[in-house]
Amino acid sequence: MADAIIAEGLSKTFNGSVKAVDGVSFTVKEGEIFGFLGPNGAGKTTTLSMLTAVLGPTGGRATVDGLDVVRHPHELKQRIGLVFQEATADQDLTGRENLELAAALFGVPLRDTPKRVGDLLERLQLGDSSERLVRTYSGGMRRRLELAVGIVHSPRVLFLDEPTLGLDPQGRAGFWKIIEQLREDSGMTVFLTTHYLDEADGMCDRIAIIDHGKIVAEGTPSQLKDRLGGDVVTVRPIGTADSLEASLKALPGVTNVVQQEGVFRVKCPNGDVLIPKIVGAATSLGISIAGITLQRPSLDEVFLEFTGREYREDEGPSATDRAVFMTRLQSARRGIR
Amino acid sequence: MSAVRRWAALTRRELLKLGRNPQAIATSLLIPILYLILFGQGFNFTNLLNSNPFLSPDQKTQYIHETFLGAPDYFSYFSAGMVGFVAVTATLFVGANVIFDKLFGTLKRTAASPATATDIFGARLVAGSLQPVGLAFLVLGLSVLLGDIGLAGLHVSVAVSVLGAAEVVVAILLLSVMFASLFLSLGFTIDQPQTYFAVVNAINLPVLLTSAALYPWGLMPVWLQTIASYNPVTLAVWVLRITFFGDSYYAYPAWVYLAGLFAWAVGMFAVATILTRRALAPRK
Repeated sequence: MADAIIAEGLSKTFNGSVKAVDGVSFTVKEGEIFGFLGPNGAGKTTTLSMLTAVLGPTGGRATVDGLDVVRHPHELKQRIGLVFQEATADQDLTGRENLELAAALFGVPLRDTPKRVGDLLERLQLGDSSERLVRTYSGGMRRRLELAVGIVHSPRVLFLDEPTLGLDPQGRAGFWKIIEQLREDSGMTVFLTTHYLDEADGMCDRIAIIDHGKIVAEGTPSQLKDRLGGDVVTVRPIGTADSLEASLKALPGVTNVVQQEGVFRVKCPNGDVLIPKIVGAATSLGISIAGITLQRPSLDEVFLEFTGREYREDEGPSATDRAVFMTRLQSARRGIR
Repeated sequence: MSAVRRWAALTRRELLKLGRNPQAIATSLLIPILYLILFGQGFNFTNLLNSNPFLSPDQKTQYIHETFLGAPDYFSYFSAGMVGFVAVTATLFVGANVIFDKLFGTLKRTAASPATATDIFGARLVAGSLQPVGLAFLVLGLSVLLGDIGLAGLHVSVAVSVLGAAEVVVAILLLSVMFASLFLSLGFTIDQPQTYFAVVNAINLPVLLTSAALYPWGLMPVWLQTIASYNPVTLAVWVLRITFFGDSYYAYPAWVYLAGLFAWAVGMFAVATILTRRALAPRK
């Protein structure tokens, strides 16, 4: 599989001093769903803005679908789709008019436009409201329209910036179902930033975690979780079973065993494979087991491990906001002097 | 072809939005209507001159013609000036719309598309320049109507030729293009509506008050006449007045003033193009 996105030492410094993105490098394969996670202000949206030729990098280089983001911004914009985290559709136009406008701007052939727009409206469950002004749409309808606008030209790479922010769980699930279908149908590459770690865990083939403008971890969700030391299998024997501890430690793949109040917590890379072996070891010692549970590390724990903080939606300002703030602060300081 | 389609699609958007906002059109029209009905009827210099017992009818006519550059009365002179006024007040909305599109994210979406700065600017310029042309003809029509119902109105004193009518349309269009370019430049470079309207007010008033749109030319001090003769609003209304009242009181034929207006429009268009490209370029 070829690389759809290549970033090499990509950097962005605002006003010569605020380093929003600090030499990030990564690749995204064609057809992959790649998640870009990080706390607010980590540099997610700044990176996405550079990859979509909205923002010029101050260092490094990046190509999307083989096009350099600095040298070929116009051609690049024709090949990518971009769904912003905020509503950008024109509220004074109908849903259909918004899509027709996007189709014209992105060069969808005129003869194909009515069918493409009609199909997309139906697919995103906006057919019945296509002739209504967007100002009358609900939040979920607006998000679906934003997605429709982003994909009306069948882009080769789709960038999603916090696409489900503000949607209820049902709306989020519906949104991702559509994305999954699109990927299956067209093999489209998806680059997304999201606040919802469960979404990233469930949807992304690979994930990069960015913090303070640098990538601190990258891999598949499973790989990232494995780096925490793997799963935890909790074994609850019936009665006293001190002799079990040595047997558990001797099982292949077990990295740690902790006994606490008669319950064993066994750490291992693949807990589901280990469970039958644990049952076998207990049986051979004549120990009965009252219960056994498998706990896989969540992406929340991965995030905590690599960024040193828990994932919250209401953290600090974005990198751009910080840059604007710093500019204002510097201007104010110059004014005081 | 794709550039034409992008431009046409963006222009369609502007016109659809305009058509769905009759309040904006009504507001644009309300101010000139109030000027015509209240200011134009009440502030009539012609009555002042006619009430002078020391002037013979011929002297009065000559004085009126000299003061109003060939127009038979102040209202006729003033109504042509109102067309220039309308071009300024109606086009200021195009810049305001850019700011609102920034605030609502619509401009961000368009700028992230393959649409070029020229497409985005061009579409707004066309839509923004067409509206004042329509309003200008409504103002002229209303001015004639007022005369027909016994009030002070626009009285055209020479036969308007096809060429003259075309010159009027071109003059209004050039003036609209010039001011739409100016206000679009401001819209693309200013982010806050409050700042925009403050700047626009600081521009509008001096522009209108240093033009021959409202003042009787013969009563203006020479220094103000000198300034006004370079003002694009003056150049446009002179073309209208020459078409409606003849060119006896003008130093040059209408095409010379059109050429001056053209230079203004091209200059402002060039400045606006540069500023728009800069505003829509990927942020550094």
